[in-house]
Amino acid sequence: MSDIKLGISLYSFSTEFIHEKLDFEGICKKAHDMGYQGVEIVAAQMVPEYPYPSDEWLAWCKDILAKYELEPVCWSAYIDMGIRGDRDLTEEEIIQFTVNDLIYAKKAGFPMVRTQHAISPKIFRQMLPFCKQLGVKLTIEMHHPHHPEVPVWKEYFEIMKGEGKGWLGFVPDFSIFQTMPHKLYLDQAISFGCRPEKLAEIVELHRQKADYSVVANGDFNDIEKHTAEEMFGKFSAPAKMEQWKDMIDCAFYMHGKFYYLDNDDHDPCIPFEEIVAEVRRLGYKGYIASEYEGHHFDETIDSEEQLRHFVALMTKNIEK
Amino acid sequence: MDFQAYNKILICKDNIKNVLVGDVTVGYAFKIKYPSYRGAFLSCIEDLKFEMDGEPIPASQISFKLNGKDFLLSEIPECFKEYWFVRDPATIFVRVPGGIEKGEHRVRVYMKHRVPYTGYFGQYLTLTSDVTETRAAE
Repeated sequence: MSDIKLGISLYSFSTEFIHEKLDFEGICKKAHDMGYQGVEIVAAQMVPEYPYPSDEWLAWCKDILAKYELEPVCWSAYIDMGIRGDRDLTEEEIIQFTVNDLIYAKKAGFPMVRTQHAISPKIFRQMLPFCKQLGVKLTIEMHHPHHPEVPVWKEYFEIMKGEGKGWLGFVPDFSIFQTMPHKLYLDQAISFGCRPEKLAEIVELHRQKADYSVVANGDFNDIEKHTAEEMFGKFSAPAKMEQWKDMIDCAFYMHGKFYYLDNDDHDPCIPFEEIVAEVRRLGYKGYIASEYEGHHFDETIDSEEQLRHFVALMTKNIEK
Repeated sequence: MDFQAYNKILICKDNIKNVLVGDVTVGYAFKIKYPSYRGAFLSCIEDLKFEMDGEPIPASQISFKLNGKDFLLSEIPECFKEYWFVRDPATIFVRVPGGIEKGEHRVRVYMKHRVPYTGYFGQYLTLTSDVTETRAAE
């Protein structure tokens, strides 16, 4: 038995949730039927009346998770810095939102809140006594376009390894390892007006690490140039496997982000085999969430089928 | 381009309904949802405009109804404590004497909205959701 467990972010069922094919309980039942135990909830998505949910709903949520034998793993929160058009959130506002999420997580039975990089090192550190008091851990997600070398993460890791040890941690999202655009992204680009042969040319230029100027000055239409600019910006600086060893002790949880799988064995965009091998070697114990995110691009894809491919792919590698 | 698939939920499938007060038809109403995978404060909406059958609907005739309240379109960018849950439809009430003719109409919704957590390196991602659908008036 491996110490790595595969969980699920209920966010993987975004398509079914927003198109009202499944409600919160239906998604919990589906997760249970698929064999999952550990779950994450994106509060801003699935919690009615959020960010001011009722105690009744939070207690009901806890009961529903128990009913379907699901283990609450992570309550996901945002730092919505841009709520207002005239200014960013103030420190007081960030603290208020974060304190609230820690309280809601506790009430719904979750032992961990995942927040975002914009919390700032100062406020992150300031949350420590409250986390200890409640018994709820606080983690920051490292998500693309961030990566281990973004300067603020040096400060975060110092806090996590120092005074925050065991309470303040991070959640690496596998989007930081993505090397190339996925199929749904490319299909969408074609639907927006990229010519397939030109798009293939752009993908090949990107693979060869050509400079974007080759596209900018080449024979491409505006939407092709726009797509190339986005592609070259997004997928050109993936995190490296050797960076795991310096940060693995701070990882309380991981997001197994994926966008599209047409088989049970391999994803050309995110190197899951290498990631799992490395975190296993370094002794990671805990959950990796199945986090399907193709719903940003195509609402006709069946989330459950995608998750089944992911479970098969990951299980092979976890149990190696 | 991230998030584009969510535009499919912007204009709800419900029919357009005439709004009666007693026996007087004071206008018509249709429903929209927030085009995202998650909810957000209304203040994330930077611009919201509507057209019916190719004609702009004047903002002065519109009430945006959500969470049991009515908002003017001009108030929406100020609503930083009013959350729009992703499964809750808002009702767009258009005051026009006599309402709308029965049958099919072309509804256009144009929304510019800021994704409030995307300022990774300073810049917020602002999305344009511009959707036109045919909906029947009852």
